[in-house]
Amino acid sequence: MMNIFGFRLSASSAIDMDKVDRTLFDKLCAEEPDARRCMSCGSCSATCPAGEFTGMSVRKVLHNLQRGKEREALKMVSSCMLCGKCNMVCPRGINTRHLILSVCRIYKTEESR
Amino acid sequence: MNEIVVIIGGGIAGMEAAAQLLKLGHSPIIIEKSDRLGGHVGKWNMLFPDLTPAKKVVDELADSCRDANIFLNTEISSLNRLKDRYNLMLSNGISISTKYILFATGFNMFPAQKKEEYGYGIYDHVVTNADLEHWMNGNADKRMDTSGMKTIGFVHCVGSRDEKARNPQCSKVCCITAIKQAIELKNMYPDAQIYCFYMDLRLFGKKFEDFYTKAQRDHGIHFIRGRVSEVSEAMDGRLVVKAEDTLIGKPLKVSVDLLVLMAGMACNPDSEKIASQIALPIDTDGFLKSSDNIIHITSSAKKGVFYAGACTGPKTVPETLAEARSAALDIHTAIIKER
Amino acid sequence: MRDLYPSGFDSFILPFMIGMTFVLCWCGIGAVRVIAELDREDRKKFFLSFLNPKILGKNIRDWFCDCLFHVKLWKRNKLLGYMHSSIAFGWFMIIVIGHIEVFIYTPERIHRMWYPIFFRYFVAVTESTMKGSFFFFLMDFFLLMILSGIILAMVKRVRSRLFGMRRTTRASLTDLIGLYALWSIFPLRLLAEGFTADISGGSFLTKSLNMVLHSFMSDSMNALPVWWAYSIALGVFMCILPFSRYMHIPAEILLIPLRNAGIKLKHEDKGVARAELYSCPSCGVCIDTCPLSAVPANSRDATVYLNRQLKRHNEKRIDQISEKCMLCGKCSVVCPVGVEGDKIRIAHRSRKKYSIAHDYSLIDEGKFIGNMTEKRRVLYFMGCMTALTPAIRKAVTAIMDKAGEDYTIMDGDGGICCGRPMLVAGRKDAAMEMIEKNTKIIKSSGASVLLVNCPICYKIFKENYSLEGIEILHHTEFIDRLVSEGRIAIDRSETKYVYHDPCELGRGCGIYDQPRNVVAAAGTLVEADVNGKESICCGGSIGSLSLGFDKRKALTENALKHLTCGSPDAIVTACPLCKTTFNRYSDRPVADIAEVTAERLI
Repeated sequence: MMNIFGFRLSASSAIDMDKVDRTLFDKLCAEEPDARRCMSCGSCSATCPAGEFTGMSVRKVLHNLQRGKEREALKMVSSCMLCGKCNMVCPRGINTRHLILSVCRIYKTEESR
Repeated sequence: MNEIVVIIGGGIAGMEAAAQLLKLGHSPIIIEKSDRLGGHVGKWNMLFPDLTPAKKVVDELADSCRDANIFLNTEISSLNRLKDRYNLMLSNGISISTKYILFATGFNMFPAQKKEEYGYGIYDHVVTNADLEHWMNGNADKRMDTSGMKTIGFVHCVGSRDEKARNPQCSKVCCITAIKQAIELKNMYPDAQIYCFYMDLRLFGKKFEDFYTKAQRDHGIHFIRGRVSEVSEAMDGRLVVKAEDTLIGKPLKVSVDLLVLMAGMACNPDSEKIASQIALPIDTDGFLKSSDNIIHITSSAKKGVFYAGACTGPKTVPETLAEARSAALDIHTAIIKER
Repeated sequence: MRDLYPSGFDSFILPFMIGMTFVLCWCGIGAVRVIAELDREDRKKFFLSFLNPKILGKNIRDWFCDCLFHVKLWKRNKLLGYMHSSIAFGWFMIIVIGHIEVFIYTPERIHRMWYPIFFRYFVAVTESTMKGSFFFFLMDFFLLMILSGIILAMVKRVRSRLFGMRRTTRASLTDLIGLYALWSIFPLRLLAEGFTADISGGSFLTKSLNMVLHSFMSDSMNALPVWWAYSIALGVFMCILPFSRYMHIPAEILLIPLRNAGIKLKHEDKGVARAELYSCPSCGVCIDTCPLSAVPANSRDATVYLNRQLKRHNEKRIDQISEKCMLCGKCSVVCPVGVEGDKIRIAHRSRKKYSIAHDYSLIDEGKFIGNMTEKRRVLYFMGCMTALTPAIRKAVTAIMDKAGEDYTIMDGDGGICCGRPMLVAGRKDAAMEMIEKNTKIIKSSGASVLLVNCPICYKIFKENYSLEGIEILHHTEFIDRLVSEGRIAIDRSETKYVYHDPCELGRGCGIYDQPRNVVAAAGTLVEADVNGKESICCGGSIGSLSLGFDKRKALTENALKHLTCGSPDAIVTACPLCKTTFNRYSDRPVADIAEVTAERLI
């Protein structure tokens, strides 16, 4: 961390696409190819019953994973109740439930790694 | 010798094509299923981006094609092909034989009640863009509670870009229509807060972007990037709209007194019904399929059959009119070649 | 009757004896293994069930009805039923009568296992009595019955449609060996007994055959090779039995008492699951019935193929099949032996390891408890899906308002999922946490009735929640009750309605009549060509994990085709998910039962 003119800049808050490891995301897309079709409309996040409490958002999970921000994504995903509302509202027909289960299987938290 | 050209549909595309064909010396016949010409535009109030009265446009077009043979309240009972001629049997008992048919069958409004989560037909204060224009044309609408219009929501992409609603394409005109209607409502209710919930603002046409910045700066309309996921009714009868503000990344809700659904353009099943009788191909989106989408957009796979306007996909008014002229010219060229 | 051979033995019995010994050992060990795999409590329950005369009576009835008479198959198709019961019951009777004969005529040989099977070879008829010819007649009669069944079985191989089956299972190699062995056993027996009928006696079938045979073959020593062939066919059949579909014959005998003792499928491949796996006769009734089979490629995902892959330990396919299934439970209902295809799949899903565990610590049930300050009689739980179908919510509350019901909504502005979607995904621990949170909210409300309009929620509330003193009602039951108590009245219309049974409500919870009462009160009720217990899943099920949106269209269209064959004006269902799914592809209106009621309240 740097402290310049009173602003604190955390090195991890910027995304460096050159350093993003895409192996796991590619693996996820092999399980659920529709993962790449998200257009970030936010329907899933708005309808999510867990989101209100935990900030869970399938949209954010997907984007964080694609940008290499795994920690943020995995924290959210653990609060999913698998109710399927996001599945119902998604205009692109992404199978969000299968996507979440696949994320839970493919990715590992730092503690469990 | 005049050549008969049958134009199916008396909307703006059909009228404009008829006017041009008349000028070129042919005999167009317009077949319209409703009791008046003008189609969807005929029911509209003002057109973007200059707030041109729709009536003016329709009246002008109707005037220029008044010498055409026009059948109102008429449907096509059957259509078949015999060598290079097409035989049409009309619901009024008349049969027509022609070498040239122009499909100007247009589109259908997406039925907003199919998106049950938005509550159209369920809640008291949910209307569509078409309902709003109808009301602005001076027709009464009990859903429009003018006394308590403090907050108004606009939902973009209702049945557009929605695979679940079986309408995957962008309807092209809803973004700019929402901005137009928001400005109009703001002018009527200057104290109202107006929210537009959009996925992407697709403002591609001439002066569309100006209209957008005007809505932001001069009218203070709020644009929220997030698709509405559900609407519920609070105890006091106001509607609670839920969406995600995707730019902040937080769920958001707002209570509104009126919710306007921007119902999109869907294919017209009637045009498919007619087209299937002479085996015209239908595109994956349900609209009629042009022989290609760049230079032969008005041509079909069958000789003598042409397309104009929204029967091949969502289009704006100027695009439709340009296509109608171009189709008229294509038909004229084909007639000359045959002689 | 007297013994022909003092030794009472001939080497031709060896193939049979080898097969018999092998199959008895195999099944014995298998049965012990299944029972050993049960947990202690279940094992105790199992043994004690034999002391309960009611359960014992049911066992005996089921053994006869299911194993011998195949009553379920009779109900499905008469020809199919006759084919199976003629072989099973006929064979059973031949064995029983064989033993009776040995017992009566040569009681000293009763301990020889092969005697009742090859009785006609070892004895000679001494006098013709009424009793003797009675047994001869019975033996020939049942042999004829089996042979007629075998002929039907052969016909079925080429023309399964005659038996009401569009698609049958593709036989594996062991199944084929077993099949041909089975087909050859009885014609060989007929031939063998035909050869010896002049010595050992016979009736209309064997005696007549004997005469035909002796007209061109005088030497009775020709008989021996045929007896050998008969014994070999039996031996081959028994040796292949544990590795073929015919394992269902002994396995079902064990499965019936397990089921009647009320032992639930807990482990994915042990105990009850193993008994069910081996009870699968590979008949393929589940293929045609599976809603997925509307797409021909999916017929490889039917329960019968899951069982086959389980036997082969093909983990990849097991995973695919278990995750794809919509868990509608139809295969379990139609299965003639009672294999619970849906439960086996859930058990398999639960075996999957997830490196990201659930964490619901931030989901605060206190918020909902705080919202309900006043005590009401009815607590209405809409469930997640109903938030997206506001017409249903509005209709249910309108009905309650009309009936003057004292109610409050538990999840009017968001709520906690009932847990069922997580449970069917096989993550029981996570589901239990949601159950716990919701239980706290429900109990703190002080309500005496929990009203739900979603069959998915209803099923888990009924099965996995412990809500003592609170009556759980689905809105179909609730409306039916309001109508019969006269608290609301419905104005009957001329509209023709078809009622779609949601999987979780019908097969899942056994509610078929109440919704029909309500629909019949609102208009004319027509039935779909398949309804009730065999209603076809709408295709929107949350049961399937891997089935994508685009893959479901054909399934919904197929369900709609069957629903609308009585040309109804509208489709009525009682599940928000079914309603949304059907609405997408239906050419006529689809409404929830509450909407239909609310529309016509007087």
